[in-house]
Amino acid sequence: MRLLLLEDDILLGEGLRDFLRADGYQLDWCRCLGEAVALQEELYDVLLVDWQLPDGSGLDWVRSLRRHGNTTPVIVLTARDLLSDRIRGLDTGADDYLVKPFDPEELSARIRAVRRRASGSAGSRLIFGDVELDLTDRCAYVDGVRANLTAREWSLTEALALRAGRIVSKSDLDALVLGLDSEVSSNSLEVHVSGIRRKLGRNLIETLRGLGYRISK
Amino acid sequence: MKQLPSIRQRLSRTLISFSVASGIAVSAVVWLVVQHEVDELLDNTLQESAEILFGLLSFNRERLPLQSGGSLPAPTHDERLVWQIVGPSKNVLLRSHRAPDQALVGRETRGFDSIGGNWRVFTMAFDSSGSLLHVAQRGDARREARLQAAGLAASAALLVGLLCAVWLGSRVEKELRPLSTLSDAVARFDPMDVHSMLSDVTRAELVPMREAINELGARLAKRLANERAFSAHAAHALRTPLAGLMTQLAIAQRESPPEVQPRLERAREAANRLRRVVTALLTLFRTGADVKWQSVDVAALVAQLPFDGLSVVTERPMPMTADPDLLAAAFLNLFDNSLRHGASVVNVTSVAEEDRMHIVVSDDGHGIPQNQFERLQAALQAQDYEGKMGLGLMLADLVARAHGGKLSLISSARGCTVDMVLQARPPDRQEMAVEVQAPPLNRA
Repeated sequence: MRLLLLEDDILLGEGLRDFLRADGYQLDWCRCLGEAVALQEELYDVLLVDWQLPDGSGLDWVRSLRRHGNTTPVIVLTARDLLSDRIRGLDTGADDYLVKPFDPEELSARIRAVRRRASGSAGSRLIFGDVELDLTDRCAYVDGVRANLTAREWSLTEALALRAGRIVSKSDLDALVLGLDSEVSSNSLEVHVSGIRRKLGRNLIETLRGLGYRISK
Repeated sequence: MKQLPSIRQRLSRTLISFSVASGIAVSAVVWLVVQHEVDELLDNTLQESAEILFGLLSFNRERLPLQSGGSLPAPTHDERLVWQIVGPSKNVLLRSHRAPDQALVGRETRGFDSIGGNWRVFTMAFDSSGSLLHVAQRGDARREARLQAAGLAASAALLVGLLCAVWLGSRVEKELRPLSTLSDAVARFDPMDVHSMLSDVTRAELVPMREAINELGARLAKRLANERAFSAHAAHALRTPLAGLMTQLAIAQRESPPEVQPRLERAREAANRLRRVVTALLTLFRTGADVKWQSVDVAALVAQLPFDGLSVVTERPMPMTADPDLLAAAFLNLFDNSLRHGASVVNVTSVAEEDRMHIVVSDDGHGIPQNQFERLQAALQAQDYEGKMGLGLMLADLVARAHGGKLSLISSARGCTVDMVLQARPPDRQEMAVEVQAPPLNRA
């Protein structure tokens, strides 16, 4: 799952980056609004946005994203805990609102929850025929038997599963799975897809030549 | 509350009293004036009658039976005016049929004369022989005329006065109605609502009041907005590094070997407690903050506080109803005071007293010098914190007052002892929260 973190505090930003990456998330960290605006055309699963930033309001940016039709789930991270602030944050277009200080485990759980809801699923398990994906434990099961996926394979499977029924282009998948820092060769995606097919069955991921990949609902 | 005088009642009472008094005074004056005028009118009538009669009698003098002492023939009627022609020897020569056969006036006077209140007589010379013509009116007939005229006029004046009183009363009521309308509008007025302004008033005298209230509301709203802005900045400055600390500790715990885990777990608990204390402090200083009443064991609460270098002794469980985060903030500041003043041991005890709970915190430190003790005590009593005490006592007092109590110092032979008095239960028991084991992780 690919996240964009917009947080100006170094201690908190570094901590969240390390914590969430260790949890298996692909995370890009921006320390100011300008950096985030430069990345707003990128594909992300969830945006983590601080309200008060040195060069503006994170909430204004969220409003601008919504106005331009961007529906990526947003979690606002802020020190403002007034009821009126929370209502304002959610009404602006945020999907969740977390008051600082918070436990990073709670943030991780909320990220999974908003992403699940965005993909139209209430539970933490997604089922595709005989394949079952546990989004909380980041595990895949085939006929109830746990499949031993690598971190990349899991990320790729999760990215397609959360967009089940939709074609995801190779470039989008690259971004979602490998992020901005990727220097992996262009055929590495095929290698991972091949590995997934070997472990979860050939029918789970469908290849659409020239378009990308899809997991059918 | 002391019953204040009412403008409406005072004004009504004054106007009604004035109207009634005016009515009575005007009636009295009318009474006197009308009596005088009627009397004068009757006298004029009497004199004119005498002069007419003199003309008629003089014209027929030769034919009058002046020696008989009798009266001229007349139809039967109630004679209002009587007359006599009296000779020089005071014998009645001729008279009207209702006139007495004795001379009405014994003296040789001319003009008006009153005879014992029974008669009002006008006397004039009748002829050159010294005979006199007396024309008289009955006293009771004159009194009756005077009373009727004066009575009716005075009654009318009094009635007008009373009607004025009633009318003025209703005017007072009507004129004061805009004041109560303004009071209702002020009661509904919310200065924090930018669209809320007092509506137009219907009397010129109320315009300055409306403008003053609107201006006051605007000042209040601005001040509150500034406080909120300050609170938001303070919250950001305090909470963001704390969030970083908690995140770094979570990573450290995840990456550290098992033997370090308990220590990191304690550090995370302390950070968590600190988060709650920061939240409590921000809540306390925020305008309109509510105390989150919960069942809490003060002994357990104190034991959880992250405080090194001080031995905190609690004798037994101390259950009570209070806001645990606010209490924790107060204790942390009191313990910090003790530590900075040379204490190594702090005792925390509690005493229940009717509807109040005393939490007594005593230490074995240097204590407070006597002159400073009295100054601090007075400052706490008056909530006069500025420049008189540090954050610790001030914050503990604010926490106590938020719970309906207060903080006071207790004189002791050694160290410092403070008595934090709290209301034993929330003002409205329906608001009391259910018992919880620990304060919530996040107020949001």
